[in-house]
Amino acid sequence: MCGIVGYLNKVGTEPRTIGSILLAMLNSLACRGPDSAGVALFGEPRPHQLVAQVKLGENGDDRERAGEIQTIVEKFGARDFTQTGAYLRFVFTETDDLTTFIAGVEAAGKDVEVVSVGRRLELVKQVGSPACLEKTFGISGFHGKHGIGHTRLSTESVVDLSHSQPFWSHGYPDLAIVHNGHITNYHQLRRRYEQRGIRFYTENDSEIVAVFLGDKLRQGADLPAAMQSTIAELDGSFSCLVATEGALGFVKDPFSLKPLVFAETDSFVAVATEEIAIRGAIPGDFSVSEAQAGEMRVWQR
Amino acid sequence: MAEIDAAGRSTRELNSAIRRLIAESSKEITVRNPGARHNLAVAILDEVHILVGGSVGYYCGGLIDGASIEIEGSAGWGVAESMLSGTVRVHGNVGSGAAAAIRGGTVVIHGDAAARLGVSMKGGTVIVAGNCGYMAGFMAQKGTLIVCGDAGEAFADSMYATTCYVGGKIANLGTDAVLAPLDSSEAEQLEQTLTCYLPPSLRGAKPAAADFKKVVAGRKLWNFDKRDWRIWQEAL
Repeated sequence: MCGIVGYLNKVGTEPRTIGSILLAMLNSLACRGPDSAGVALFGEPRPHQLVAQVKLGENGDDRERAGEIQTIVEKFGARDFTQTGAYLRFVFTETDDLTTFIAGVEAAGKDVEVVSVGRRLELVKQVGSPACLEKTFGISGFHGKHGIGHTRLSTESVVDLSHSQPFWSHGYPDLAIVHNGHITNYHQLRRRYEQRGIRFYTENDSEIVAVFLGDKLRQGADLPAAMQSTIAELDGSFSCLVATEGALGFVKDPFSLKPLVFAETDSFVAVATEEIAIRGAIPGDFSVSEAQAGEMRVWQR
Repeated sequence: MAEIDAAGRSTRELNSAIRRLIAESSKEITVRNPGARHNLAVAILDEVHILVGGSVGYYCGGLIDGASIEIEGSAGWGVAESMLSGTVRVHGNVGSGAAAAIRGGTVVIHGDAAARLGVSMKGGTVIVAGNCGYMAGFMAQKGTLIVCGDAGEAFADSMYATTCYVGGKIANLGTDAVLAPLDSSEAEQLEQTLTCYLPPSLRGAKPAAADFKKVVAGRKLWNFDKRDWRIWQEAL
């Protein structure tokens, strides 16, 4: 199971926030994934600045640790700190060396995780329903043009914040994915990446999709090419949504084992596991199609 | 005509309401605001016409015997699955597994179909005005599968005795699927079927029946023969 949703506003005249649209879509799919919920939202960028969302620890609200991390990130020009639930959010000066930044923050404790970094991207997720996600983070107040969301039914790894989705491609700014399905060559791929020193944060096979795409993009592939290569290189069932600073896309495995539908009009693109998520959130007369086996599409914002 | 507003009501309530109206001898039932929810109008065993004013989710019209169901929007997975007789018409597109395992009746899709259209069908007729996706007709046993547009990969794989007609391009044929000649009387019959079930606006844009490709089983998989082991290696 699991439910995934994505939305891209093409024209900028939509009066509702991206957060409220994705929340409405997720609410319709809450029954597909009662374990946890999350969204990756893309807002307006600030010049030469990045936004970080940091998980303080599995025990949630940890003010002492938030203080420690604030001290650690001062040298990165960090400011505008806010603490919500298990998250510390702040803005810091753009850097080419995210690896040092992430290692520095995560040195604060072994259950500390930099959940996302990006010019536009802000990723929040937690155990519980989409309604709980709204209650904790007030995602419906988030303005932007595109984003993706996920409701999780865990089938292969523990239920906690880090194992929830979306996944940020750790170290690659503004790249986030949501995945419905199973990646059956996960262990083989993971061993290959780990031999190259890439760290995995979870036992969740969906994390490999974010790692895989980040790796391809680092090697110079563009987003459509990177997504197309999942068809040949990932095994198993997958319907994935991928979002970057400037694009939203989907890819479906060549056996079409998981559902995924999409609608495109002159004003928006909506993608979801089931049509019920689209009809429940977006009024109007437009048609919806199921993605075909092995189909990949990318829309630029 | 009886009307049911689906907004804010559970699927169980809606299906009960449909059954109640049928018990009160309604012959025409309209369901408004279906909101793409699942399992609407399943296992209807009476000759009624149910018009659904919008999109439906999974398994709409599944297991029906004799009912006629018209969906004005699109349909999710498994529309009309395992129906025995009757008609299911979808104005929009359909998800994977449409008309899977039907035993009879007619399924008409005005838009496109996703993967596994008409798999394991054991009778009946499936007509798609648009294109169909991956592995349509897989292991289909009887009946007729008509696709006016293009067919996806592995078309008609491992079939028994279903007859398929494709108006457009076939991405590739599945294991043991072969092209067969279409004679004039058969083309005439196909033309009649298409004219009967497709609205003129849709029929007009599609190829003439005589230009359809006919696909049947090559019968190589019907009986195991160790001399044919290569084909078994490739068969799913």
